Amino acid sequence: MANFAIDAVKATTYDAIVIGSGISGGWAAKELTGKGLRTLVLERGRDVRHITDYPTTMMQPWEFEHRGQLPLEIRKANPIISKCYAFYEGSAQFFVKDAEHPYVQEKPFDWIRGYQVGGKSLMWARQTQRWSQFDFEGPARDGFAVDWPIRYEDLAPWYSYVEKFAGISGNKDGLPQLPDGEFLPPHEWNCVEKYFSQKMKDHYKGSRPIIMGRAAHITKPQPIHLQQGRAQCQHRTICERGCPFGGYFSSNSSTLPWAAKTGKLTLRPHSVVHSIIYDEKKGKATGVRVIDANTKEMMEFYARVIFVNAAALNTNLILLNSTSNRFPNGLGNDSGVLGKYVAFHNYRAGISGDYDGFLDMTTDGKRPNSPYIPRFRNVFKQETDFLRGYAAGFNAGRSSYSDQSGIGADLKTSLLNPKMGGWHVGSHMMGETIPKESNYVALDAGQKDPFGIPQLKISVAYDDNDDKMVKDYLEQMTEMFTVAGFKNIRTRDDKRNPGLDIHEMGGVRMGKDPKTSMLNKWNQLHAVKNVFVTDGASMTSTSTQNPSLTYMAFAARAVDYAVKEMNKKNL
Amino acid sequence: MQRRSALKSMAVAVGGLMALPGWASGWNRTTVQSARFLSAPQDALLADVAETILPATDTPGAKALNVHQFIQKMITDCFEPTAQETLKKGLAAVEEKARATYGKSFAEGDATQRTTLLSGLNASEDPTLKSFYSTVKNLTIRGYMTSEYVMTNLTKFEFAPGRYHGCVPVTASSKTLTEKK
Ligand SMILES: Cc1cc2nc3c(=O)[nH]c(=O)nc-3n(C[C@H](O)[C@H](O)[C@H](O)COP(=O)(O)OP(=O)(O)OC[C@H]3O[C@@H](n4cnc5c(N)ncnc54)[C@H](O)[C@@H]3O)c2cc1C
Ligand code: SF4
Repeated sequence: MANFAIDAVKATTYDAIVIGSGISGGWAAKELTGKGLRTLVLERGRDVRHITDYPTTMMQPWEFEHRGQLPLEIRKANPIISKCYAFYEGSAQFFVKDAEHPYVQEKPFDWIRGYQVGGKSLMWARQTQRWSQFDFEGPARDGFAVDWPIRYEDLAPWYSYVEKFAGISGNKDGLPQLPDGEFLPPHEWNCVEKYFSQKMKDHYKGSRPIIMGRAAHITKPQPIHLQQGRAQCQHRTICERGCPFGGYFSSNSSTLPWAAKTGKLTLRPHSVVHSIIYDEKKGKATGVRVIDANTKEMMEFYARVIFVNAAALNTNLILLNSTSNRFPNGLGNDSGVLGKYVAFHNYRAGISGDYDGFLDMTTDGKRPNSPYIPRFRNVFKQETDFLRGYAAGFNAGRSSYSDQSGIGADLKTSLLNPKMGGWHVGSHMMGETIPKESNYVALDAGQKDPFGIPQLKISVAYDDNDDKMVKDYLEQMTEMFTVAGFKNIRTRDDKRNPGLDIHEMGGVRMGKDPKTSMLNKWNQLHAVKNVFVTDGASMTSTSTQNPSLTYMAFAARAVDYAVKEMNKKNL
Repeated sequence: MQRRSALKSMAVAVGGLMALPGWASGWNRTTVQSARFLSAPQDALLADVAETILPATDTPGAKALNVHQFIQKMITDCFEPTAQETLKKGLAAVEEKARATYGKSFAEGDATQRTTLLSGLNASEDPTLKSFYSTVKNLTIRGYMTSEYVMTNLTKFEFAPGRYHGCVPVTASSKTLTEKK
């Protein structure tokens, strides 16, 4: 009998466990297996194999029953996820349905999730801007949050490392507020975008640069991409259905198959991690408790090192739910900050307009990317009455229209002979919100999810700083659009709920002082050295740039450190 | 079949790296499935209404492209339940007006009579009839413009253009259609 138990433990023991198979977990898995560790990746959702499990990827528009629109029943049953722009008939299979995974909104929060192998890496918009020295120095400078325990230089080589493998297109723009990376050729500008960029350069004397967005698309495959079985992006712009070419970076097309090739990977879908097991005698974590999503059976898996990559808020949930005598308030939570200082990006405001010029020019083809306006407020010095700043998207395009007033043969002729419209321009803001103690997540012990795990209670809201920033963005962009000669300028603040930007971060923040932070500079729990958190939960502050590239760089860096420590027998 | 060959050429494009997925071979689903709430005569009438909005000329009209089935599908699945009532009432009104005005059914009317009658609905004071007309017209346009026939033969739809050029001169063939997801 004793032997039997030992064998059972052996069979469920790995060198490393990774919780979550999304953008950051995929990187942890690739790095751990690449360094020879037998790695178990636990994923709560179903398996999604590259190409085979992209059921809509080759469907033509007319092959969709509702030509892309989702049935009313589905929209009504999913009021939260239906707000996400990327949720439609071709992509619905990758989004978490509201009723299946409930959570408590103490304040309105639209939590957009993808529970499957690959996580949200299947549906993301693939913008991959590096964070800059200003982002990592920000809290120390303005006094919000706590000081980051690292600086840009610590992460720069790891950005390069992940960029080369993932395949990032972009231009070297030489901007301190948006450092250059290892880029494949950038996407092309159109006439109006180029004009706007030049006009702003002249008018603002270079202080408001506008660049081509850096995006995780293979514009020119390198040997490392071909080795992954990925090919050049074909510009279909239907990426959120899954790309059969591997034209964009996803865990499914890139990191996970690479990890599998080492022979060291065990991927276990349908495995809902309940908590991390802490052994008080050993003073470290020994494994995780998992609920099999199909059988609802509770089981345990063991490893020397554990990476938590369940996406920011679920990582908080797992740590909060990992209680023991030593850690009654959640794993590693000596400081009491676990779940607090959650922040996000503010996408509330937008602006649009028309342009009368370039009527003899148009575009040809499609582009899965758009230009980007790096943060220009409060970068080099504090110049407004709000803290931090915003970046923005920008794009221009020409549409066609037809007179639809008639009926009969005339209408048909008109529809089939559309006239070219003018150029339209638009922008949306991406504002940095300030991590505050009052923005938190916690467990709601009274409400359990379908697996018997307490539901996550989210209490996150905008504040005065955000309102001021929205106002400033609309003012500044109106000025910029006016300078450019754009007409019919329309501004909006859609007052959307926090969360819909899908850039939630924090709760398990990094910091120098264990009294005010959860993780050290290696993304390692101060109090439990063999547990690492390298997803958005670990972010001390949020920057204005899209965050996922930074999660990748942190994951690769933390694995490198963890394995070195294991080899030194420190873990 | 088109789908399969597209997949095959794609497999070639990526250098044979890609195995054809299982669901690709079993692909024979008809895109518009059977209608659900209209009777056969109502369905036939809807087809005639759609055909009047977009008739056959030297190319097929709405009826031949099964646009009426698409309309029913959309109204059943994507609209508020009241839209079904509006559709039925509108169809009944169309038939009634045809008999009252021309002494024959809508189907028997000539193109001019049918067009005049539908245009009359648009100008009507009755909100139900107005809403019937605009809904059916919008869905007819949508169903027609996103039909396989129109997208592959009459408009410039490209699934995977493989390129983006930001500044090209406008030419006669610059007609672009926004991507239908
Ligand atoms: C439409 C859309 C557009 C976006 N655009 C961008 C963009 O342009 N740029 C950018 O940087 N970011 C973008 N994002 C955000 C980006 O997708 C996320 O930041 C990124 O995926 C986070 O990586 P992650 O590894 O933390 O989480 P995920 O990729 O979400 O992966 C987490 C995984 O953990 C699993 N999991 C959760 N809980 C458990 C548990 N208890 N047990 C086991 N497994 C669990 C989940 O099922 C999931 O597979 C976008 C997201 C969406 C949806
Ligand atoms: S745009 Fe590129 S990455 Fe996106 S689906 Fe198309 S080929 Fe794939």
